[in-house]
Amino acid sequence: MATPIVPPEFDPALIARYDVAGPRYTSYPTAPQFQAEFDESALRAVIRASNEEPIPRPLSLYVHVPFCMSPCFYCGCNRVITRDIAQGDRYLERLYREIGLVAPLFDRDRPVRQLHFGGGTPNFLDASRMRELMESLARHFSFSHEPGREYGIEIDPRYANGEYMRELGRLGFNRVSVGIQDFDPQVQRAVNRVQSFDETREVIDAARDAGFRSASVDLIYGLPRQSLDGFSRTLDQVVALNPDRVAVYGYAHLPEMFKPQRQIDAAELPDAATRLALFGRALERLSEAGYVYIGMDHFARVDDELAQAQRCGSLQRNFQGYSTHGDCDIIGLGVSAIGRIGDSYSQNARDLIGYYAALDAGRLPVVRGLQLDEDDLIRRALINELMCHGELDKQRFGAHHRLLFDEYFARDRQRLAPLVADGLVQEDAQAIVVTSRGRLLLRIIAMCFDAWLGDAAQTPRYSRVI
Amino acid sequence: MTSAALIGLPHIMQSKHLAGRLPEPPNPIADDGDETRFCGTCAFSSACIAAGYDKPELVELQCLVEHVGPFRGGEHIFRTGDPFRAIFAVRSGTVKTRMVDKEGREQVLGFYLPGEVIGLNAIYPEHFPCDAVALDTAFFCRFSFPAMSALASRVPAVQQHLFRMLSKELGTASLLAGDHSADERVAAFLMDLAHRYEVRGFSGTRFRLSMSRGDIANYLRLAAETVSRVFSRFRTQGLIEIEGRELQLLDPAKLRQIGQALLP
Repeated sequence: MATPIVPPEFDPALIARYDVAGPRYTSYPTAPQFQAEFDESALRAVIRASNEEPIPRPLSLYVHVPFCMSPCFYCGCNRVITRDIAQGDRYLERLYREIGLVAPLFDRDRPVRQLHFGGGTPNFLDASRMRELMESLARHFSFSHEPGREYGIEIDPRYANGEYMRELGRLGFNRVSVGIQDFDPQVQRAVNRVQSFDETREVIDAARDAGFRSASVDLIYGLPRQSLDGFSRTLDQVVALNPDRVAVYGYAHLPEMFKPQRQIDAAELPDAATRLALFGRALERLSEAGYVYIGMDHFARVDDELAQAQRCGSLQRNFQGYSTHGDCDIIGLGVSAIGRIGDSYSQNARDLIGYYAALDAGRLPVVRGLQLDEDDLIRRALINELMCHGELDKQRFGAHHRLLFDEYFARDRQRLAPLVADGLVQEDAQAIVVTSRGRLLLRIIAMCFDAWLGDAAQTPRYSRVI
Repeated sequence: MTSAALIGLPHIMQSKHLAGRLPEPPNPIADDGDETRFCGTCAFSSACIAAGYDKPELVELQCLVEHVGPFRGGEHIFRTGDPFRAIFAVRSGTVKTRMVDKEGREQVLGFYLPGEVIGLNAIYPEHFPCDAVALDTAFFCRFSFPAMSALASRVPAVQQHLFRMLSKELGTASLLAGDHSADERVAAFLMDLAHRYEVRGFSGTRFRLSMSRGDIANYLRLAAETVSRVFSRFRTQGLIEIEGRELQLLDPAKLRQIGQALLP
């Protein structure tokens, strides 16, 4: 359904009231619900079934490079700190083995429409290793040649330059995602990531020259020593870089879970009010500069494909946030990578030891996953609709999934009632609509429909909603 | 020993959230008969009823109909060379018949839907000339052939019905003969399925393709990629809508027109 994009209303008091931990719903059910019973034979079975559909879905490859040269203290990702390229080569050896095992399971007429290198730091791999890796992928899979293909990579500009970006362009990459977090030197020192505006600009400009169609940047608010003034300067610099998309993530300080975060002095973290003001400033500054708020952490230029997809109702949620290629089967390659094939999710071993051991034994490195049942599929579709388009036609949804909406979601609608009373959502007989007040609290709204959250004993830890 | 061993239907619905679920649409799963009623899709009920025989009489005639299954996807109902003792009417699920040559190459001969009968081509050679493989969870009525023959000799309508089924079976092979384009073959295939579902009281415009694209391709003598390309083209042209294996025919008239050379 086509929806006019409602700009979000920023009400700090309201947001503070709903500041509880919640999943980001890059998948539903969320990763903590994946189970060890979903094993290699289950994965092979879902892949086989995916080939047998009348029109098999195109493919999306996610390749994880877990290494970083230097630790950023805010990081909650799965990564290994090293400058030893020999470690990278040992990893690549296993990655090639995995590609060799996985690729033949997929029919060759399924084009790779989307490719994403994430990390860690993908540019830990130098140009020649990157070339070898891309050649291997191109040999084993059928790369798409359509102009609409999206081949993206995350880049740490401190370890890349213009020549490297031009080489990536020659290898077929056409989207780049650049980590910035904050240009304020005070903040950069506190999080151990000192990165100049110039080296950031060099990477983005070179990518554009090399024909990359899209550049996006990541910012983080809630970091130690962050101030409104400093962050405002960062936002001005970001606008000057003219990225197509901007992601503004909230820092979640969970030092018990993420060891590197223990290096951060909790006393230097901004208080709750400042945190909110930082996000509010980003919202204001980016809106002025011509970006629209897509949802969750994401902004895009008004003419960007994400914003277009949102307007015409075809936006999808995926592991990188939002996507216009939600119809692909996602193959996760590398340590800890998550795949989404057919109605299943699957995740590789989360540590190098387990990942190497499986591949050295000739096994697929999957360690857990989930086969979605009918209820999961219904809820995934619902949460996707609310998070992407902020609107759900209950009658149409009910007819499509063969259910009486109000009855099927009776308990969920009870959970939704206080949110309706607070004006975050409107609900009538026909539709559920996220209001401008609710747009910044999509997680909270989605959580009402999460059937897996009921079990308190299993409730995993999530970062705060804003 | 009765004809109506009451086997529960395959439990397909999720039980996690039943409140508010609408019933399954009329879909290709036979409702179960009992001692006094035929299954909705019974291959023989109309012939018997028309001849004045109701199920209790058939029981007395000791025409043993045994409910068998479930067979899971990939399991054989019978194999090439097995001695022929019975024919099988599909109660639910889908079956493919196929032959495998000396080099191990498979040739798919046909697909059988609820209400249709497999094994008829074994009547003369007295052993099965092909494999029958379930494509999804399948249940059957097994008709002992000696008992069936005895019934046919008493009830001319049953005999006629048998002959009719046999001649239809012979007729389907010609659907694929000749030099026809991929579009014609796929359109004819879809319209043939639609027709078969429809005459059995199911939706003829909305059904699930339980056969893999590999099986469809093999059956139509096309490459798997070609089958997918034709499906994609039909979708782009607004003739079909397809989500996974759920198919909706949006313009059956046009599809019939494309496939007409191969359709009766």
